[in-house]
Amino acid sequence: MDINYDYPKIHDSYDVVIVGAGPAGALAAREASKKGATVLVLDRRKELGAPVRCGEGLGAKYIELFHLNLSPNAVSSNINGARVIAPNLKDDIIIKTKETKGYVLDRKVFDKDLAKDAARAGAQVVSKCDVYDVIKEGDKIVGVRYIINGQRKEVRSKVVIACDGAESVIARLAGMKDATSTLYDTDYGVEYEMVNVKLQDNGKDFSDLIEIFFSNELSPRGYTWIFPKGHDVANVGVGIGGLHTPNAVHYLNEFIVDSRIKHRFEGASIVSLKGGAIPVGAPVSEFVKNGFMVVGTAAHQVDPIHGGGIGLAMNAGRIAGEVAGDAVKDNKFDAKTLEAYKTQWYGEEWDKFNKRLMLRKVLEKLNDDDLNHILSTLDQSDIDAVLCGKFMNSITKVTLKRPQLLKVLTVLMNM
Amino acid sequence: MAVEIDRSKCIYCGACVATCPHLALRLNEVYIETFDDKCVSCGLCIKACPMGAIKFKK
Repeated sequence: MDINYDYPKIHDSYDVVIVGAGPAGALAAREASKKGATVLVLDRRKELGAPVRCGEGLGAKYIELFHLNLSPNAVSSNINGARVIAPNLKDDIIIKTKETKGYVLDRKVFDKDLAKDAARAGAQVVSKCDVYDVIKEGDKIVGVRYIINGQRKEVRSKVVIACDGAESVIARLAGMKDATSTLYDTDYGVEYEMVNVKLQDNGKDFSDLIEIFFSNELSPRGYTWIFPKGHDVANVGVGIGGLHTPNAVHYLNEFIVDSRIKHRFEGASIVSLKGGAIPVGAPVSEFVKNGFMVVGTAAHQVDPIHGGGIGLAMNAGRIAGEVAGDAVKDNKFDAKTLEAYKTQWYGEEWDKFNKRLMLRKVLEKLNDDDLNHILSTLDQSDIDAVLCGKFMNSITKVTLKRPQLLKVLTVLMNM
Repeated sequence: MAVEIDRSKCIYCGACVATCPHLALRLNEVYIETFDDKCVSCGLCIKACPMGAIKFKK
């Protein structure tokens, strides 16, 4: 007998059809349902959240902000700050602010918790259901085509919300060309979840810090990371700019045997392999079409510095879900109506996002000697000032011995 | 020409799918499907793959 994947029965039409039950899709589904819309969420995977494809970091504010109803094991570890390490793997700075408080999640639990909340709000969530095309009528998107139990079917909708992650196939099928990831604006990452990792070094404890290694040698145009997941477990990964060779796994394998750091991985085992594309450029130009929205990593709404996408995805999902819910009430689904989502997103996120894009451009211009110099020169009070947006002191200090850095760093002063 | 994926290296992360401008690759639950008729052998997926699992077909 067949497994009843098609339970409860999928109807022929819904107000809102959401493709992808990650953080973006789950929040969009929850909010649209709360507004009274009928919502269907389709996800290709048999188990939501798996396979995991990211470092699993999330800022602390989001759980409260979005009233997330999480199981205790959705969070693997609490993070109090970030340790940024110089290319020499010696000099470092530690950043601890309200902004750097956060969690390393267990996405397999977290994503399912979010989907459960969406379902409790009234959305119908269907896993192992593969959306392979959108249905167009003239210049409108009016539904999607999917495969379930080996059968091809269609479902009609007033609004389709594409939340299918970095691949962003649905937005591209809907005609959004710049949803394709380009080698220039994408980091390609690979990550080992490891056990028996030493989260202490030189008598210092880093088990409540995410460790970030900026280095053109170790991870050109990206970064290397160690995210602690409790006790002796950590996500250890590398993301590199797409124009660089060889492939990311080469850099990760070099990192864990690097003579300067290998003592932290001696005796460690790899219990999980993850990877993926991380859009780190600007968001896609169009967020909506008639009857269509694109949200989260699919819309390249990813932090350009650390590549984190979960918080941005949830906020964009919340906005899109609310706008879709209102559109259903008003019975208007044209791009102009749905554009309210883009307007609100830009109002809430763009100022910070744009600054991060500029900061990325600054970081890219620094070579490893510059980074070593900066991280060995600045002390904790400088970092605290920079975090408050006061760059002048640090820039003066850094450029005293390396005046050539002034040109690059002046960008920061205008931020 | 087209590409082939070494399934012993592939971790089905979808990086190649995200990067292919021609939607010539597709992520299924546990494998990547390739569509030779759409592939233009541009090699972007080969550069994108974090595992080095993709090469041109001989």
